[in-house]
Amino acid sequence: MALDLSMFNRFAVNFQAGDIVFCEHEPGDNFYLIQSGRVQIVKIIDDLEKIIDILQPGEIFGEMAILEEAPRSASAVALDNVKALEFNRENFEILMKGTPQIALKLLKLFTKRIYDQKRRFLILTLDDSQAKIADVFLMLSETQPAHDEDVNERIFMTTVEDIAHWAGVSPVESKRILSQFASQRRLEIFPDRIIVQNINDFARFVNSKRRSQVS
Amino acid sequence: MPKAVSYKTNSIVYFKGDINEKIYILNNGRVSLNYNDIETGQEMHDLIKTGEFFGVKSAIGKYPREETAVVLQDSAMIAFSVSEFEQIVLQNTRIMIKMLKVFSNQLRRIHKQVRNLLRSGTDVSDPETGLFNIGEYYLKVRKGKQAIYALRRYLTYYPSGKYASEASRLLESAESGSVPNINPISAGSGRQPGVDLSEIAKSYYNAVSLFSQEKFKEALSGFQRILENGVDGEYEAKAKYEIGRCQYNLQKYELCIKHFTSLIQKYPKHPDLIDSLFYVGKSYEGMNNIEKAAGFFKKVIAMAKDEAPIMRKAKKALKGLEGN
Repeated sequence: MALDLSMFNRFAVNFQAGDIVFCEHEPGDNFYLIQSGRVQIVKIIDDLEKIIDILQPGEIFGEMAILEEAPRSASAVALDNVKALEFNRENFEILMKGTPQIALKLLKLFTKRIYDQKRRFLILTLDDSQAKIADVFLMLSETQPAHDEDVNERIFMTTVEDIAHWAGVSPVESKRILSQFASQRRLEIFPDRIIVQNINDFARFVNSKRRSQVS
Repeated sequence: MPKAVSYKTNSIVYFKGDINEKIYILNNGRVSLNYNDIETGQEMHDLIKTGEFFGVKSAIGKYPREETAVVLQDSAMIAFSVSEFEQIVLQNTRIMIKMLKVFSNQLRRIHKQVRNLLRSGTDVSDPETGLFNIGEYYLKVRKGKQAIYALRRYLTYYPSGKYASEASRLLESAESGSVPNINPISAGSGRQPGVDLSEIAKSYYNAVSLFSQEKFKEALSGFQRILENGVDGEYEAKAKYEIGRCQYNLQKYELCIKHFTSLIQKYPKHPDLIDSLFYVGKSYEGMNNIEKAAGFFKKVIAMAKDEAPIMRKAKKALKGLEGN
């Protein structure tokens, strides 16, 4: 999508590699559209800097600021030298009217975020920590591209800490549950990935837990 | 091509769980979207108004329908593919902005719900503590640049916050490139706010206090001394801004305009940027350059938030000019 954004040059800002664009917990009122360079979204969890996402030119970040002046939920750090357009709530409508493509992009982003958050909510409503963790794998599986129906094994490039974060279960407890799953040969844990042997087994497990909770 | 379709009472446009990439707009009739509230499990019925789109999110997001669309009374609608829908909204930004508002409300709501569920968990710190902890973390892992950013931000937002003195101390060592001893800070340790600010901060706040007593000359030399001592970063930017305000109040309009112009060039992201523009406008007004003054006030009005005091000030100032 080649967009003519020259009319927005007055909103351009530059960051050098390593610069923080905004910091977790800081009040937020700007959002950004990357023009060149990449931006890392990071969060400090248990004294470790975790990379949540790496954003490419054309992507939008910090968009939650349009919604509410809530503190930033993660930090954005320039990975390369970055040129971005910086907008706020005041000039948001100007931007949307001038470049509907960006509005459409944002519409899609919101759609995805709503879905992800609803999915996360469903995980968190499970009472049982084992089921929560199994459900995290189901969620991750749903976002992976289509699979061969006959293959039940799934490889997730994820870590124990990530799983703990999504499940809302403490890392210690998550580790315990994951090793329990591993000893039952339901999954294998590697430093950079977790392999679930039979994703359908997890689906059945989570569904039965969910049903028993409703009744 | 968009397709006109009609449905009889009690028929179903789509079921929850269906995967289908159609987006509908209701032309006439009555359609209800039925689903269970994720929080309460309660069955919800959202009535679609005529002229309203439905099925948008699951179609664009390519995920299963989250609700069942039930026809309550004979209805006519138009079905679009995702790309047809995109063409329409690209040509009609009003619809898109309206939709963005609806989605952002939904997003806000679900965010809140997720936060509430997580709150029962751990590590929900207040933003003030959180921001300070991040500065401390980066300093500990020797990421000086990031530490300086976070600590300066902390001191900007919480100049007399509970970690202010600690933050100034850490900031100094971050700026000098050393790693200090990091004191474990227990939240609510009863630290007196603003007791033990660094020397620079102290002289800065002294000058601010002179300014508020309308001792502009004294305040001006106070701020100038801070700069002469060769500070950089937050306090340099802050002091420079205050110098401009002093000059305005001392009716040194030309100096004030020159000063703010160079400030804006040096700090295009200065937190007091809009106020700076306002003072430039006021200075032009003081010099009877009504046209330029009006230009700057209009700029302020275009940039300021609706509820911001500076907005009211600029509007009032602009009105005052017209009265001349």
